[in-house]
Amino acid sequence: MESFITELLTLLFAALRSATPVLAVVLGEAMTQRSGVINLGVEGQMLLGAMTGFAVASVTGDPWLGVLAACGAGTALSMVHATLVLGCGANQIASGVAVLILGGGLSAYYGIPFVGDKIDTLGNLNQTFVSDIPLLGQFLGPITPTVLITLLAIPAISIFLFRTRLGLRWRSTGESQDITRNLGHNPVPYQLAAIAFGGLMSGFAGAALAVDYTANWVEGMTAGRGLVAVGLVIVARWNPWYALPAALLFGASEALNLKLQSWGVDISPYLLATLPYLIPLSVLMLSYRGLRASGGGMPAGLRVVFQSAR
Amino acid sequence: MTTITQPFVRFGLRLLGGPTGAVLVMTATFVVAALAFFAINGRESIPLFQEMVMGAFGDSYSFSETLVKTAPILLTALAVALPARLGLISVGGEGQLYLGALFGTGAVLAAVDQPGWLLMPLMLAGAMAGGALWGVIPGLLKTRLGVNETISTLLLNYVGVLLVSFVVHGPWKNPNSLGWPATIEFPEGAILPQFFDTRVHMGLVFGVVAAIVLHILVTRSRWGLGLQVSRSNPRVGATAGISYERNVLIVMAVGGLLAGLAGIAEASVIQNRLQDGLASGYGMTGFLVAWLAGQHFLRIIPLSVLMGGLLASADSLQLYAQLPKASADILQALLFIIVLAVASLWARRREA
Amino acid sequence: MKKAIRTLLATSILAASLPVAAETKVGFIYVGPKTDYGYNYAQDQGRLYLEEHLDDVETVYFENIPENADVQRVMERMVRSGVEVVFPTSYGYLDHALKVAEKYPEVHFAHSGGLKTSDNLMTYFAEIDQAMYLSGVAAGLTTETNQLGFIAAHPIPQVLRNINAFTRGARSVNPDVTTSVIWTSSWSDPTKEAEAAEALISDGADVLTGHVDSPINYVQVAERRGVYSVGYHADASQFAPEGWLVGAVWNWGPMMVDIVNSAQDGTWKSEHLRGDLLTGAARLSDFGSAVSEEDQQTVLDRQQAIMDEEFRVWAGPVVAQDGTVLVAEGDVMTLEETEKMDFLVEGVEGRLK
Repeated sequence: MESFITELLTLLFAALRSATPVLAVVLGEAMTQRSGVINLGVEGQMLLGAMTGFAVASVTGDPWLGVLAACGAGTALSMVHATLVLGCGANQIASGVAVLILGGGLSAYYGIPFVGDKIDTLGNLNQTFVSDIPLLGQFLGPITPTVLITLLAIPAISIFLFRTRLGLRWRSTGESQDITRNLGHNPVPYQLAAIAFGGLMSGFAGAALAVDYTANWVEGMTAGRGLVAVGLVIVARWNPWYALPAALLFGASEALNLKLQSWGVDISPYLLATLPYLIPLSVLMLSYRGLRASGGGMPAGLRVVFQSAR
Repeated sequence: MTTITQPFVRFGLRLLGGPTGAVLVMTATFVVAALAFFAINGRESIPLFQEMVMGAFGDSYSFSETLVKTAPILLTALAVALPARLGLISVGGEGQLYLGALFGTGAVLAAVDQPGWLLMPLMLAGAMAGGALWGVIPGLLKTRLGVNETISTLLLNYVGVLLVSFVVHGPWKNPNSLGWPATIEFPEGAILPQFFDTRVHMGLVFGVVAAIVLHILVTRSRWGLGLQVSRSNPRVGATAGISYERNVLIVMAVGGLLAGLAGIAEASVIQNRLQDGLASGYGMTGFLVAWLAGQHFLRIIPLSVLMGGLLASADSLQLYAQLPKASADILQALLFIIVLAVASLWARRREA
Repeated sequence: MKKAIRTLLATSILAASLPVAAETKVGFIYVGPKTDYGYNYAQDQGRLYLEEHLDDVETVYFENIPENADVQRVMERMVRSGVEVVFPTSYGYLDHALKVAEKYPEVHFAHSGGLKTSDNLMTYFAEIDQAMYLSGVAAGLTTETNQLGFIAAHPIPQVLRNINAFTRGARSVNPDVTTSVIWTSSWSDPTKEAEAAEALISDGADVLTGHVDSPINYVQVAERRGVYSVGYHADASQFAPEGWLVGAVWNWGPMMVDIVNSAQDGTWKSEHLRGDLLTGAARLSDFGSAVSEEDQQTVLDRQQAIMDEEFRVWAGPVVAQDGTVLVAEGDVMTLEETEKMDFLVEGVEGRLK
């Protein structure tokens, strides 16, 4: 029994580890989409954040500076999306893809001198009291700061979005720009802030990968996780609290893919590797049926984007 | 002088205010941006740019290789543009391409001893079925369960690539391939025709024909008209007897089918077998081209050639300037950003 | 426009050095980034060695060229720009290289790892599994849990050889050892590699190694979790000051110099050139402090035996995962048999494909 619990906890914490970068992106992107803007460029922003964070950590020797730089890089790149979408009125999906390719290219290009560098990591909770907690200590100990920060972002975002006046306007921008205008507010600053926040979180997610989790920079290292996160926003129904189970679902299916192999399950690893994509898709299929009438909680302003594919 | 030239000037101005002007501004901005990018990185901009143009269109060999790149881009772009006519945003070209290669190869393996006149159609039918399947699934998810098609096509891309890996590493691996993960070589009868002793193949013809046929269908046929009605208001369409649901399935299936053809063409002509790494991001490039073309089928053709040229000529960047491969991605993104910005601003100006 | 190109070429040649004799242009094609700190990095180190040691050679390279429509075009362009010796360094380039080689009989091609040749296409590789075997010996002597972990990308012969050699090495000194394999289905996915390392460690493995593009990810996780690591492709000892045992690394430079020399002086042979520990094309890295003097000596003795050809890694009995004897005692696997290996040996836990 105890070994079963241990295995389960191992899997849960493995899921949390792989889920963290994705969770950060889901939270940021959910905020972006709440304002009526979708940004597929988060994958590129993650990559640029990862590269910049790693490079700064390597050059300065301070991983925390790296995390800050990553947030800055993600935000900066997201401004390309903001310029195209808010400034020029370009299609959001198309603009996102442009940002995605740009981020991938820039990070690969300027990351070359830093490949193979060794950086200091952010450390973990092992030196603190939590590692002395019985049973859980061995799992809580290795938890790193980016995991904690990302988890703390959930209530913070939730309070902002649902308990503050600013949050209300943020949401109403996403539901209808006209109403926002009629209320005497200009929607553009909200959308700009929303894109920037998405950029910040995706840059942070890049740092979680490159500075914290793997302490390594490899071009294309996000391997599609940013794009999948955009999909998970729908699974999470644009709600910061649901973002956690949605991201954990992805993290767990990634961890499960590897864990099933080490348990000796007789299925091709290539088929197991489809789990992180098929499981979120299945959840979408199951959850949508009942929610169809309400549109699954999609901000009305966003629905407009999907209905005008030109 | 004024009286004679005035109409010309006015005509010229009107031209510049329209699409021609937009295209000119796009081109000029992109050239400047590319030159600036080279200069920032300490390269001799103008010779390098010339080198790129030569590398895409400079001689018959270069042009033929541009066309080799064009075929899959063209087909995957159509796979995006057709669903877009119904307001659907599909990003599933890459997965559909892989599924086409998978099913097409399946047909070849099943009928490997058959003569070419039978094998080839079977292969193409298989490829179309595979691509269509990867289009219909998101279509069904959309119409039956309301799952957003952008997300489902995105997720299914990864699955498609992994399925090909699975078969070439497992059940379909050629036992005599010295352990290499690939199927057997396709027999002669399953190699699509190529032209003029180059690698340019039938896939390009499929793409051009499909673009023209789709253009005619969408602009001239009842069905095409129905798409427009359905798109702007499904309920109005339904009262006129146009089923939005059925049209979703049709456009997704036909789009997938075309991408599937691109997949089997790569496997058959370029690789002569199915193996990993069949296509590198053609789906995303196709998506880009479809948007650059404003989802206009005929405009997709020249734009695919241009994009194929840009990608093929990016060789020059590595060969003559030792710029890393990523520089091609940066240029591609710059082009896309410029086109999007200019096109949107132009459209906004016209509205105003 | 032609003139502009010529000027560009001329200036780049002038900038390189003032050549006395005509320069031989040598072209390299890599499947991934040359800075991957792994396979492609090692090949590129060979290229740099070539530039350093041969005065009359100029190199060009292409990186990130997938094994599809692109590679044939890239080779053609290289040849058309005057490259006389081409190194297509990825296995999947082979058939494309054969096609281009047939078209340009005066150009020399040296393909990495293939088993086909033509008049102007030879292959080169190194039996790095010898070094993996020795690393396995070190791992077998060090492990306390008797569980080793192997993070592998794809089940292709080169990878299977390394898994098997590593396991055979470990079991030669410690018959109770087993190796668990996790496939990541990707040559480079740092997150997955790190998570695979975590999974193996939590299942009890206390020595980790792998065959993915770069050893950095699993070596760092091992170090963080306080277990040992064995590197592959490139020396990653700086990432694991405590737990680094040893690693198997490439050294392509001298071999590439020989190949280019043979193309220049007409002694080119269309053959399968294979380096090994003896020629130095595959090497054992330096030992980490975690390996005792005594154990180091055991490994080095075995290395000497391999170099003296007293001992062969693939001498029978070779027993498959399910207990079938594949190579009987007294027999030795041939080069071709090892290079198309498609089985896992006894002691390996994990699926074959």
